[in-house]
Amino acid sequence: MVVLGFTARHDYLRIMNSSPEVFNVTLLLPDRECSILVGRDEHIWDAAMAAGIPLPALCHQGYCLTCAGRLEGGGEVDQSDSLVYFPEDREAGFVLLCTGKPRSTLRIRTHQQAQMRQHRKHKGLLAPYSWSTVQTP
Amino acid sequence: MPEKAKPQVVKYGDVTQRVGVEVIRARGVDVEKLIKMLIANAAAEFASTYYYYTILRMHLAGHEDYKEICEDARLEDRAHWELIVPRIYELGGELPNDLPAFHDQAGCKAAKLPDPPTAVNILTLLLESERCAIRSWIEICDLTFGKDPRTYDMASRILNEEIEHEAWFIELLAHERDGKSIPSGHFRRGEPGHAPYSKNASFYNP
Repeated sequence: MVVLGFTARHDYLRIMNSSPEVFNVTLLLPDRECSILVGRDEHIWDAAMAAGIPLPALCHQGYCLTCAGRLEGGGEVDQSDSLVYFPEDREAGFVLLCTGKPRSTLRIRTHQQAQMRQHRKHKGLLAPYSWSTVQTP
Repeated sequence: MPEKAKPQVVKYGDVTQRVGVEVIRARGVDVEKLIKMLIANAAAEFASTYYYYTILRMHLAGHEDYKEICEDARLEDRAHWELIVPRIYELGGELPNDLPAFHDQAGCKAAKLPDPPTAVNILTLLLESERCAIRSWIEICDLTFGKDPRTYDMASRILNEEIEHEAWFIELLAHERDGKSIPSGHFRRGEPGHAPYSKNASFYNP
């Protein structure tokens, strides 16, 4: 799209037409870093998928911890759509991307399911997918 | 001239290792992760659904058709549980020897009776439970496809039934809540707990 002689960013119209409550979310993936825009009523996982960034997820209910991420540098995420989310998770900076909605600009390290399970176990909280007596050789 | 024997992964007479496990590990399956996922799915089938569906169906009074279909889903989830457990032990895993600990491993939230327990609320809960199950089982299919045919076959059979359950509850919820007809494409099972996929040539499935 050409506007006033220069090529606009592909997401220019989205930014200009959207409500002011669209937040910049930087995803720190295992192999790269990328930024996306996420609306106030949009789940971060969905926005990432729409931007062509597939993230881990399983239950899509905010329960199983597969989609876990961790905030870097603070910020606020609304986890009211998550079935299970503890104050201790928030204190430790863990977020559930499948059901988390941004309330500020964010930097999120993705692929944190193992770390969040460990955190939950350490705190004695619900931690699905973490039980096994089998030791890795 | 006999072909040279391939190096053995498991020593002759060794009962501490399993060829049935090592061969799938050699093909790239993360066996420890697979066991954790199977335990989580077993917990979802048994604790999150079979147990709680028992309560849900009781509260569908006045909707005998819904009650029967809920019962089919309940008994088929129990069939799934029976199907998964032997595979967990075959792979070298075991169930937690503590029911609450087992319950907490489920990857899907317990389908507890909603408040108020209306048919719409119960059907919505049933629908979302089945959706979580589909997501969980297709993950096992992805993990094992082309590498672990035994687990894949099991997961695929369970997935078949979970997909049918979702279609049932879409049909019933659309009818009950929205007055719409969204056919599942299915008719009633032969008998309660028929489980046409998961009870067909089961490992051990009474």
